[in-house]
Amino acid sequence: MAFATRRKLFLAIMAVPVVAYVLVVGIWPLAQGIWYSLYDYNLIRPQRTKFAGLDNYIEIITDPVSRQALINTAIFTVGAVFFELLLGFALALSLWRDDRFNRLALALILIPVTITPLVVGLIFKGLLAADYGMIGYFLAQWGLTDPRGLLADQHAALATLIFIDVWEWTPLVALILLAGLKALPSDILEAASVDGATGFQKLRIIVIPLMLPAILLALILRTVDAFRVFDTVYVATGGGPGNATNTLMLHAVKQGLEFFNIGRASAIANLTLLIIALIAAGFVMMIRHADRKANGK
Amino acid sequence: MTTRHWLQTGRRAFLLIMLAFFLAPFLWLATTAYKPSSAIFSIPPTFAFSPTLDQFRTIFRLFDVWSLLRSSVLIATGSVILSLALGVPAGYALARSKSRYAMGIAYFLMAIRMIPSVAALIPFYLMMRDIGLLGSWMSVVLINSMLNSAFVTWLMFSYFRGLPPELEEAALTDGCTQFGAFFKVALPAVMAGIIACVLFCLMFSWNDFLYPMFLTRLESKPLSVALLSAYGTKDITWGTLGALAHFSTIPIVIVILFLNRYFVQGLTKGIH
Repeated sequence: MAFATRRKLFLAIMAVPVVAYVLVVGIWPLAQGIWYSLYDYNLIRPQRTKFAGLDNYIEIITDPVSRQALINTAIFTVGAVFFELLLGFALALSLWRDDRFNRLALALILIPVTITPLVVGLIFKGLLAADYGMIGYFLAQWGLTDPRGLLADQHAALATLIFIDVWEWTPLVALILLAGLKALPSDILEAASVDGATGFQKLRIIVIPLMLPAILLALILRTVDAFRVFDTVYVATGGGPGNATNTLMLHAVKQGLEFFNIGRASAIANLTLLIIALIAAGFVMMIRHADRKANGK
Repeated sequence: MTTRHWLQTGRRAFLLIMLAFFLAPFLWLATTAYKPSSAIFSIPPTFAFSPTLDQFRTIFRLFDVWSLLRSSVLIATGSVILSLALGVPAGYALARSKSRYAMGIAYFLMAIRMIPSVAALIPFYLMMRDIGLLGSWMSVVLINSMLNSAFVTWLMFSYFRGLPPELEEAALTDGCTQFGAFFKVALPAVMAGIIACVLFCLMFSWNDFLYPMFLTRLESKPLSVALLSAYGTKDITWGTLGALAHFSTIPIVIVILFLNRYFVQGLTKGIH
């Protein structure tokens, strides 16, 4: 056999297992999920399973609880990603200069990213509790928040969850943006300084346009992750009070693994997957466009 | 020069405030483990306390900590081994392949990362029920590795792509086998990538609780699930949770703090 053929065969054998594995353990169940979503399928009464067409999907839109979950997820995503990007950019700019203090600061600042999301939820639940919480007690005492605490307040719970997400993931955004900053060509920045550009002008005219690919990357990553948020919300509020913080993933888990309504849960999960895929595709198109612009067409 | 000096001071001050913001909640949890319950539940909350190891005694009395730890370690190691065994060779193959499908497969595997965990969980749960693996730590390894091996492939794909192929080509013309060229020449050159992959898989499977919560039983329950079920139970205080977190969270934080260089490098590489 010619070497080129043997080489091709060898590389194929190396790559096939992971593709096969992902297809069997990932894609096959997902395809089944699409199948389930078309049925009125409940594990409690499996003998009464019947084809339901798009009923499960229609119910998501007509059922107020599901609609609320969709709206909550959208608000959560937009709010969290907006503040993470803003604060992350400020952090990245402060960490730009490569000295010992900044290297240590970056290492320490990444700690929230590595903490179990479940524990993050517990930490803030503990800190914000109105009865014994280190922060929540004082906030409630001074009359700044609902006496039952921020997470039990119908109007403040979702905002508080956004705050928790910002705490958890801003360091990651800062890291991505910092990598983008460090990859900027230093000669252009120096030339701008020589020409007498102010810091703000440099930022607006050079840094942000050249960093657009990195900014979009941070955006895509965080938007996708925020949209499928589960752990912290499940622990911190469990979707309550009422349905004030119920998100799509939380709703799917409750429907599927607590009420065993597999058809409905699959429909919610599939709808979430579809929205995420659309968001991701939109961002990828924007990244391509920005890349072409940054590299001079 | 003075404006520059002020700017630098301002930046430092901002970073110090941010450090306090990002570290204080974590330190609060870590220190509750050494507080006596009276200090945790004092009204108003107090910052002063005399340290004690009572909380650690409580968790060993209430939980089978070693069994929980064993499950966590089994799930994490199993997932690291399986994901790297599947993902590292595939990353190499995709990076070296001249086929026009290679890039498409790499992007497909990256997209796997975006699947909401719940969407995969419900059908997977029924699949595990049907083949009788429900309730074992193995089932958690299987689904963790699906997401992890896809990510490892993508990450190693970028590491191998950054490695010039000349060395392997020279080894191949010298009579080295193809596997030898991969294993003995290319692999040692991307050790930083391997370490990053281990860190990510470890972090993901150690921290995950959705999958083990629904896929494991009492005897195969890992720490993360115990932590959740412990919350709200009688006798459980923030102090005991803090003590339990010493096993579930703090090891990972310390490992990543020490191997920070690889973590940061892998993160920025894997994202691009």
